[in-house]
Amino acid sequence: MIETPVPAVILAMKPLAPDILFFSLQLDTGTVSSNFSFVPGQFLQISAAGAGEAPFSPVNLPGDDGVIELCIRKAGHVTAKLHTLQTGDYVHVRGPFGNGFPVKQMEGQDLFLLAGGLGIVPLHSLLSYLVMHRQRFGAITFMYGAKEPSALFLRQELQDMACTGNIKFMVTVEFAPEDETGKTSCNIGLLPDLLQGAIITAERSYAAVCGPPALYKCLVGELKTLGFKEERILLSLERRMKCGLGRCAHCAVGQDLCCIDGPVFPYSALKGIEGAL
Amino acid sequence: MTKTITEQKLRSLMDLLLKEGRRVVAPRQAGSIVLYEPIDSGEQLVLGIMPRRSAKETFFPLCETILTYGKDGNGVMVSDVDAGAFPETILVGAPPCDAAAPAVLDAVFSWDYNDEFFLERRKKTIIIGLACTAADDACFCTAVGLSPRDDKGSDLFLTPVAGGGYLCDAVTKKGKVFLDTYASFLAGGEAKPLPSAEPAATPLDLAGIKDWLESNFESPLWQEFADRCAGCGACAFLCPVCHCFDIVDEGTETKGARRKSWDACGFGKFTNHASGHNPRDIQNKRYRNRIMHKFKYYQDKFGQTLCTGCGRCVRSCPVGIDIRAVLEEIQAKP
Repeated sequence: MIETPVPAVILAMKPLAPDILFFSLQLDTGTVSSNFSFVPGQFLQISAAGAGEAPFSPVNLPGDDGVIELCIRKAGHVTAKLHTLQTGDYVHVRGPFGNGFPVKQMEGQDLFLLAGGLGIVPLHSLLSYLVMHRQRFGAITFMYGAKEPSALFLRQELQDMACTGNIKFMVTVEFAPEDETGKTSCNIGLLPDLLQGAIITAERSYAAVCGPPALYKCLVGELKTLGFKEERILLSLERRMKCGLGRCAHCAVGQDLCCIDGPVFPYSALKGIEGAL
Repeated sequence: MTKTITEQKLRSLMDLLLKEGRRVVAPRQAGSIVLYEPIDSGEQLVLGIMPRRSAKETFFPLCETILTYGKDGNGVMVSDVDAGAFPETILVGAPPCDAAAPAVLDAVFSWDYNDEFFLERRKKTIIIGLACTAADDACFCTAVGLSPRDDKGSDLFLTPVAGGGYLCDAVTKKGKVFLDTYASFLAGGEAKPLPSAEPAATPLDLAGIKDWLESNFESPLWQEFADRCAGCGACAFLCPVCHCFDIVDEGTETKGARRKSWDACGFGKFTNHASGHNPRDIQNKRYRNRIMHKFKYYQDKFGQTLCTGCGRCVRSCPVGIDIRAVLEEIQAKP
């Protein structure tokens, strides 16, 4: 783990939406890059000089090249500052923090990855891992929901991964404009609707969920109806992680801390905690 | 054999320690109130008055720089703060509720990762506790397992004696070494301790309270308890064991510092995200977190209660919330 922030240069930036930028960062020193690794679902603390630090999950997988990819929505003052930076500028990185997805535990099982909106980020990282180690896992279904087709980020990359990795890839949007033939480019509906048609053997499946807070309650209900045990529903929570080290208490979820015990929790660990979801 | 020290000798000892280059932190007059602050002479030592804020800032300052950064031709360089440079410190005159607090915090500052800022200061500080001979209406150390003569957390412990002066007992090895080093300030002989303070508080059933908390996360009582809470955070800032903190960068793109400063889970924006999502969006959820953390979560995790009964939250709450009344009401529930 990197304790003191180290510099990372911005290799590339590209807009994914008017308020979302994709960043490719390169850790600065060879020693750090070769020792740097993370599990999909863990998070990093990224600093912009003059603005501060905020937590982000990488969208990619760690390689030996020290490249970190992020998707950042302009929402607060740190992210607003990050959006003003340019290729060649530096940010600072510490981490990784948290547990990440229990990839060992998920081996040999069928997997359902459910992403809503920008919740795609850690699940894109997880999917990259699954594709890389494809033979270790059973059937994989990736379901991705967003407001509208233009908000389905990284769609091509996901489709390419789905193709090479024999992964069932489904998308849905809340609304979509019709083309001249009167058709829409996407399934219209909510994520839980996609689950309705899926063939699921719940006792040998895991569901991994990341999305906006409102998504969790309805998806958990749907997954339980489909027979998923509570410990097989994995939820990646959003909290305001500050220190990342289990003491500042900003990310407390009941007695657990999102930065140490999470951010990925089985639903069984969260169900008694009002406000966790 | 029991050792005693006169008040004058105690002040002279502080002078010597200062001369030797130690930092001496003690209750001292600061305007109209008494605060724990570094003293410049033994004369400034105020004994027997509970300072307005707790002694936690001796180990965990209200605000401290944890790194600095500056931009040069090669980009932004980050420099760590050297925790090894913290000065040797004597904390003197802390009542049992303050002296016991740092040891309670050791657990959270070293459980998964050693917080060098806190732990270095702990290592370099000798705590000289002082038995209380007076308690006010808000004191309730006896309700949470401490007492006005409890030496828990102290390295040395002073007990006022009739006719002036103090009994001086070494509690830890560190305290014994200190006593041996400065033996010339002490006298032998018997002395009669003054009767210690008797807070009116009766012991709380902490296990029973924890049991209730266990199964009453959604009790309507939380609404009732927190109805008046203004979310000002005074209780947390004055508390000897509240330890939430915030991390912010201050400065510009070219030069600045990252600072860690006290925070409070009662603040409305404590859990607020840039997205607008706020997991503890109303005050009763925040108040519940405060009580849960002190009397359940910290117990579950570290086997200790996160309260030493100093009563500062009771004395300073602007809307008159009394944590003892809350705990007693919980205790009375089946």
